[in-house]
Amino acid sequence: MAVSGNPGALHITTAVPGSQPTSVSNNTTTYTVTTPNANKTYRITAQINANMPTGVTLTATFAAPAGATSIGPVALDVTARNVVTGVPKSTNSTQNITYQLSATAAAGVIASSTRLVTLTVITP
Amino acid sequence: MTKRILSTIAFLVGAASAAPAQTATQTITFQVDAINQIAFSGSPSLVINTATAGSNPTGATAAATWAVTTNQTGAKITASIGSNMPAGLTLSVDLTAPPGATSAGFQALSTTSVDLVTSMTKLAQGALTVSYSLAATPAAGVVSSTTRTVTYTITGGT
Repeated sequence: MAVSGNPGALHITTAVPGSQPTSVSNNTTTYTVTTPNANKTYRITAQINANMPTGVTLTATFAAPAGATSIGPVALDVTARNVVTGVPKSTNSTQNITYQLSATAAAGVIASSTRLVTLTVITP
Repeated sequence: MTKRILSTIAFLVGAASAAPAQTATQTITFQVDAINQIAFSGSPSLVINTATAGSNPTGATAAATWAVTTNQTGAKITASIGSNMPAGLTLSVDLTAPPGATSAGFQALSTTSVDLVTSMTKLAQGALTVSYSLAATPAAGVVSSTTRTVTYTITGGT
């Protein structure tokens, strides 16, 4: 399992009046998954090292390799959550990662912060 | 023979623990700036054209809508017009306050900014009512159609 690097900062700066702040996204990074030749399928989970501030949501969408299934947008927290399932054996594939940051007005102003996302390939 | 059996067992144990979890990490940096946004819709028209005998001309009213988003505490909205109203004419405005905020009620508009809504804290609310009122005294006389642009300003809190 490898990633292409860290995405650029996700920075919420505006809102449509009457609506919640406008979410932002980043799809500039990729992951590469390599699975053994064992007769199994695999899944990929993602988690962050600390929960997001109240009212702020970090969502990740992982494109799926051939034969696998993307769970679609997943809100990340400290619990490992499936993002891709059914990855076949002998897979060696690089796919896109999209992160989205959303916030409610109630979340207030959030100074620049970081979260460490851990991706794990495991057997079901 | 004994050696061969032990080797086989070691192989099976190795297979059971194969394919350990693989991990990778990314660092996500995020930030939410101070956001204070307002919007007003509509260009209302106010016409005074009658009076009750013995009283000042009957005032006119008109309505529009406004919306606000702020993620700060204690934001407020002020308003002013580009030039003062003719003598004897008063243009006033009242903004319905979003939940938790305070409206100052109808306030006469002039070139000096006046507070209309205060104590707006971390909210997003649309479809709020703007009420305009035009009042005239007989001394104002006849005033031909004219316009004023109302400038609303939101000032962020903390």
